[in-house]
Amino acid sequence: MSNPQDTRTGKAPVLAPGHTFATVTDKISAIVLSRRTTLGWVVGFGVGLLLTMLLLAAVSYLLVKGVGIWGIDIPVAWGFAIVNFVWWIGIGHAGTLISAILLLLNQPWRNSINRFAEAMTLFAVMCAGMFPLLHLGRPWLFYWLFPYPNTMQVWPQFRSPLVWDVFAVSTYFTVSFLFWFVGLIPDLGTLRDRAHSRLARGAYGFLAMGWRGSARHWKNYESAYLLLAGLATPLVVSVHTVVSFDFAISIVPGWHTTIFPPYFVAGAIYSGFAMVLVIAIPIRKFYSLGDMITMRHLENCAKIMLVTGLIVAYGYLMEHFMAWYRSDEFDAFMVHNRMHGPYAPLYWALIVTNILVPQALWSRRVRQNVGALFGVSIIVLIGMWLERFIIVVTSLHRDFLTSSWGMYYPTKWDWFTFVGTIGFFAMAMYLFIRFLPMISIFEMRTLLPEAEVEAEAK
Amino acid sequence: MSYAPVTLPYPAPPALARIQRRSLVIGVVFLAGAVIAAIVEHSPAQFFRSYLLGYVWWVGITLGCLAVLMMQHLAGGLWGFVIRRPLEAAARILPLLAVMFVPLIFGIPYIYLWDHRELVLHDAKLQHQAQYLAAPWFIARGALYFLAWILMAYLLNRWSAAQDASGDPVLRRRMQTFSGPGLVIYALTVTFASFDWLMSLDPQWGSTVYPLILIAGQMLAALSFCAAILFLLAQHKPMSDIVQEKHVHSLGKMMLAFVMLWAYTSYSQLVIIWAGNLPGEISWYLRRLNTGWKYVALALVVFHFAVPFALLLSRDLKRNARRLARVAMLLVLVRYLDLLFWIAPNSLPGFEHGMPFHWMDIAVPAGIGGIWMAAFVWALRQRPLVPLHDQRFEEVVGHAPETA
Repeated sequence: MSNPQDTRTGKAPVLAPGHTFATVTDKISAIVLSRRTTLGWVVGFGVGLLLTMLLLAAVSYLLVKGVGIWGIDIPVAWGFAIVNFVWWIGIGHAGTLISAILLLLNQPWRNSINRFAEAMTLFAVMCAGMFPLLHLGRPWLFYWLFPYPNTMQVWPQFRSPLVWDVFAVSTYFTVSFLFWFVGLIPDLGTLRDRAHSRLARGAYGFLAMGWRGSARHWKNYESAYLLLAGLATPLVVSVHTVVSFDFAISIVPGWHTTIFPPYFVAGAIYSGFAMVLVIAIPIRKFYSLGDMITMRHLENCAKIMLVTGLIVAYGYLMEHFMAWYRSDEFDAFMVHNRMHGPYAPLYWALIVTNILVPQALWSRRVRQNVGALFGVSIIVLIGMWLERFIIVVTSLHRDFLTSSWGMYYPTKWDWFTFVGTIGFFAMAMYLFIRFLPMISIFEMRTLLPEAEVEAEAK
Repeated sequence: MSYAPVTLPYPAPPALARIQRRSLVIGVVFLAGAVIAAIVEHSPAQFFRSYLLGYVWWVGITLGCLAVLMMQHLAGGLWGFVIRRPLEAAARILPLLAVMFVPLIFGIPYIYLWDHRELVLHDAKLQHQAQYLAAPWFIARGALYFLAWILMAYLLNRWSAAQDASGDPVLRRRMQTFSGPGLVIYALTVTFASFDWLMSLDPQWGSTVYPLILIAGQMLAALSFCAAILFLLAQHKPMSDIVQEKHVHSLGKMMLAFVMLWAYTSYSQLVIIWAGNLPGEISWYLRRLNTGWKYVALALVVFHFAVPFALLLSRDLKRNARRLARVAMLLVLVRYLDLLFWIAPNSLPGFEHGMPFHWMDIAVPAGIGGIWMAAFVWALRQRPLVPLHDQRFEEVVGHAPETA
């Protein structure tokens, strides 16, 4: 579908020439089944595991002592927990966008990055989900957030966006998981057929749910996959819209502004694609997958980052202009406090990392330089984290009454929890790469010229 | 623009000449009638309010066409090939729209509160805004927006004409490279124009997503207008041989996307302002939802979202040029309704209650539309209906261009 176009447009192909059905299958399944586990994998997994232990320690101590071990206080009751929640859930969005929206838009280049992007979504949503739960104070009572019949006369406040969050995030996780797992089924069948050890054959066979690859299987499978894509598509927008409502529904200056929904969604996709690049670039290098994750993929991701980054910059501009134009005392002070208040260095770091540096992506040379792309992506991830920090902390710490102003300083337990989730995320990604095909084998096969001939023959 | 050859390759069908004449007659009759009535009835405020409404409606379609033109240069896609000439023709009439901006300048004292010194005097915030919005700055910024728009339209059209003549591949690359920054300039200029021309009708009110709603509306109007025009062109040679189901299908998909974007941004604005319920913000909705205008709001929910959304979900409808053109006409018309909802309830004291709908709110937009349409068709007839050396030519038409 794409290869003839490539020669005309002069763009890099989405799958390097020379591959056949057999080589694609061999190459991807060998990473899981026959290649030796590299030392690099063991070290990377080990670091992730250690940090996950740190997370467990931090959470255990939190359960013993309570949220007082964190830096949150009054007026800044939200702190790291909400900053990290929004950051992680935003990162997940790129996976859903790639797998669902690009599938519906017939963009075949998604086929080599959708699988690990979906895995990234799942692990990011897991990390995200931990924070609001832990932030509850008594996380073991989390089920009070659900509307279920009970004798305590407890019923959720449906006007609160925090209740909307429960529904949005749990739906998001469920649909993302189903989409990812359904996408895996034909490949699990392939692994089952190729595995040598009994254990592996049994495990993959169990997960493949009796997949035989018959014409009827494929027909049902394709329609199920399309339906799931249709279900997942609104979630790309709805989840972060609800997250933005957590802020915008209030009347806190800096939170209550109508551009928040589209601006949050754009920011989510922005950071998500940065994370896709941060994962794709090393994978591509260490597993020599440059022929499957080509420059075309990296450049397309970079372009999406540029566009969404510009929308985020537009959001900042609108906030500032509106505060000046309407000269509302509180909005004007919020902007002034961000630029000149105690958190000003973080604000200016945000402007540099999130707006100025990514403008380098206008240049084709930067977009085609793998090292530069990796650097910009890391910087954008930092920038988007800073954005959430600025939104949460600077708006809360100085609001309407000067007598209730305060400061927020994260404690070491805040940092341990945050770094711990990064470790958990890394560990989960390492396990995924080791035990499941990180690139969709059957979808890659549809990119081959042979597949096109067969499609035409139909 | 400069030299029109006697026989164009792929010329516009003669039916267009008739449309051009009729549109011009409609435009002149309606506008002249409204001007005479405004003078006889001494109702300049109503006239200028209606003029602003009609003007923003048609400027929106034009600018939407400019933006979609740049979007298709950036993204490619075969749908862009078949509507490239209508998009370019719409962009070429921007100088005419710049001239039609002049009456608005005379209308400033009649429609904008901030121009009234005695009303602004007692409020420091209003004074601050009045300094920014003040007529000289308002005019200077307007001139700047038009300068940017006309320059972008001029360059893209000039390169397009050169591409028709020479087929130089450098030109394609140039148009593509230009379109990225071009879209950024489009978004920024439309944003500030929306503050000046529309949001400042209610000077103390502000909403940060407001310009995005307008941008979504402009793109929607432009795509819908193109879908309708494409259906018209496809009735005659040469476009009847060129336009295929899949091109119409792509247009329909994008119309659906922008219907959703419009609804999403409009809903966000409503729900955030409703939940915050702050006096400075909710006033905008109270004036619209607690008066007769609520029926217009309801009509917007039904005809700007629910009905086109439901219809455009159908794949069969999107692949049927005639049925899609009907939905497209509806969408061009509801853009008018949306702008009426934004503009009309906001005017000078006396207009705040009930639903003061005036016949000029129909006559003047129709008059401006007639003149716009005549100019558009004239511009469309100046060039071949398909870009001759576009990289997609052979893929769509099936053979190399026949140059006459």
